[in-house]
Amino acid sequence: MNPTILVVDDDLALAEMITIMLHGEEFETHHAEDGAQALEMLETVNPDVVLLDVMLPGMDGMDVCAQIRETSGVPIIMLTAKSDSADVVQGLENGADDYVIKPFNPKELVARIRARLRPSPESNEPQVTLIQIADVEIDVPGHEVRRQGVRINLTPLEFQLLLTLALKPQQVFSREVLLEQVWGYQYKADTRLVNVHVQRLRSKIELDPDNPVIVETIRGVGYRSGKAVTPPEATPSE
Amino acid sequence: MWRWWREVKDILAGPVRFWRASLLTRTVTVTALLSGVAVTVIGGYMSLTIQSSLFNSRLDQVVAESVRTSSQIQALFDNSVTPAGTIDVETANSSAQTAIRTNQSVPGAGGFAILRTPGQITPQTMTSTSTSGLDLDILTTRLRQAVVQAPEQLHQQSVALPVDGEEVPAVVVGSVIQVPTAGSYELYLIYDFSDVQSTLNLVQQTLVLGSILLVLVIALVTWLVVRLAIGPVKRAAQTAERFAQGFLEERLAVKGRDVIATLARSFNEMAQSIESQLVRLGKLSRLQQRFVSDVSHELRTPLTTIRLAADVLNERRGQLDAESARSLELLLTQIERFESMLTDLLEMSRYDAGAVNIDYEPVNVVEIVQDCLDQLAPLAEQKGSPLLLEVFGGYGDVEADPRRLRRIVLNFIGNAIDHGESRPIVTFVDSNEQAVAIAVRDWGVGMDEREVARVFDRFWRADPSRQRSTGGTGLGLAIAQEDALAHDGRIDVWSEPGLGTCFRVTLPRSIQSSVNDSPLPLPPETELVDTQGNLVDEVSREQVSPR
Repeated sequence: MNPTILVVDDDLALAEMITIMLHGEEFETHHAEDGAQALEMLETVNPDVVLLDVMLPGMDGMDVCAQIRETSGVPIIMLTAKSDSADVVQGLENGADDYVIKPFNPKELVARIRARLRPSPESNEPQVTLIQIADVEIDVPGHEVRRQGVRINLTPLEFQLLLTLALKPQQVFSREVLLEQVWGYQYKADTRLVNVHVQRLRSKIELDPDNPVIVETIRGVGYRSGKAVTPPEATPSE
Repeated sequence: MWRWWREVKDILAGPVRFWRASLLTRTVTVTALLSGVAVTVIGGYMSLTIQSSLFNSRLDQVVAESVRTSSQIQALFDNSVTPAGTIDVETANSSAQTAIRTNQSVPGAGGFAILRTPGQITPQTMTSTSTSGLDLDILTTRLRQAVVQAPEQLHQQSVALPVDGEEVPAVVVGSVIQVPTAGSYELYLIYDFSDVQSTLNLVQQTLVLGSILLVLVIALVTWLVVRLAIGPVKRAAQTAERFAQGFLEERLAVKGRDVIATLARSFNEMAQSIESQLVRLGKLSRLQQRFVSDVSHELRTPLTTIRLAADVLNERRGQLDAESARSLELLLTQIERFESMLTDLLEMSRYDAGAVNIDYEPVNVVEIVQDCLDQLAPLAEQKGSPLLLEVFGGYGDVEADPRRLRRIVLNFIGNAIDHGESRPIVTFVDSNEQAVAIAVRDWGVGMDEREVARVFDRFWRADPSRQRSTGGTGLGLAIAQEDALAHDGRIDVWSEPGLGTCFRVTLPRSIQSSVNDSPLPLPPETELVDTQGNLVDEVSREQVSPR
């Protein structure tokens, strides 16, 4: 079955054009004209990716994004006319996985959608099932993160980011490498994506996000995970 | 000589600056100096007047006494003649001496001398006498001759009288007395004026002390008055300065109805009007920037639709006839151009609004330049310009916004390709302790002075008829300059018609450091290309094409 994309945009011409373009790429599409309709359709069509315009009548795209995140980890790509740092960062903080600036290159949009649809690379490391860093457990096959048995809600992208770092504990990843391994970008993209998502991830998994122990910043280089209590190589005895 | 003068100037520089800076010091100093001169003149005059009147009154006293003494002594000698016509001159002499001593009533009478006028032949002689210890040298020959020649007159002369090894001022009064049978004798009475002198000294000391005090008092009063007067002026100056620094809400306190109050009122009115003008202009300018920004944003959505549509058509190009295909191609390139214009316009409006954030991070300048060269290599090849890179330094990381730095370099190289006349283009990188510099040199058409002056103007083009291959928007260099300024750096241009152009950007190595001298000269020297813009033979292929 073809992947389903929910296009949320009040500009009908653009929405129709995106739909035509995505059909050409063998995607199935649904269109929502505003935020309320989008939240409704999220239930009914169960999309694989949401393309969300920032400027929407009524409920703002940012709010829609935050509301979707309350119930779902579905990948969200924001469509924005503004490339200002503040706008982009706000969108990412509200839970968007990625963003594209209008006018975008159709190929770029498709590439980003595909990157979000890509099967997670953890299938390449089947021998690892459980990693523990500080007091946080990462259950790789279950796609779950727990602290003392309590589940922490992470979006697939956040999980992917944490897992990529945790699979090689203490190894420093540059932002560019993370963009390539987590977002799947081969070309130079905006490293702010990494910064904002690390912040979001920390706010969920760290006890004190100002003094992180699970995802540490190495100034001028990038990020690394804290020391693994249970090394990835070891088979967990659960 | 000159060095000496410079040293003096250096030493004086501090005080001179202080002198110029402080109105108070200047006023007080000038007042003190002028009143000092006035007091000196008045004091000098007073001192002279007092001196002469003191001296004269004493002299009158002395002369009067001398006359009295002289006539008394003459009478004494005349009366000493016995009825027989004889005289015991020595006895008369000693009683004359006693008479002189008792007669000397004026204070400071210093002595006397009775001397025989030389050159007389008389029946008997009287011994010349004088006060013991009196140095007869003080009676000058001139005085004695004057006394002898005009015996009927009194003669006086100021002398320095040695007393206890010191000389004190004194006056000698000389007259002639006739001693019967012994001829004429000169009588000298010496009066010590040292008490007059000490009175005079006291007066002068008092005058000097009084003058100094007076000058000090005048200076103090001036200081107080000036302080009172310039206090408000100083406050006004400080307020005006703060106003000039941009604190537009600064106002002066208006007190009373004097000239200072008028100044304060006028200043406040001026400030009010400037502030409201600026607020109005600021509002207008914000509105305009907002408009530009909104227009750019609003245009983006339809442009996206157009672009997607063109792209979908492009996918089916094979089904189109030749003219439709060409039309589509034109459509695509123009959409691209439109896009970059919108981007530049938006960036410019962001700079105009001051809403620009520099995302500093450690960047490697050489790597960025290499990236830019790689990116433009196909275009350069198409235009036939070999791209060369000469790196003298700058391998270490600097703090900069990589996106903006890349944009500057791409713009330089793009311009060089456009105007390079298919000649080589050399990019230079160098750094020093404070700064890093990138220069791009072409050997193309170049520009004259007038054109160089306009090169950063928005939408300005050196030659509108020239074909542009990089799809420039006309905002590139304006944005590049803003990018450099946002980093506290700068862009310099060198250009000569027919010789080519060189753009150089100099950025500080870190946020803290500042740019003084650029590490690269303008234009930099190179051995890769000769002055005619031909590649030097030895340049190998590796150097010509970026890796």
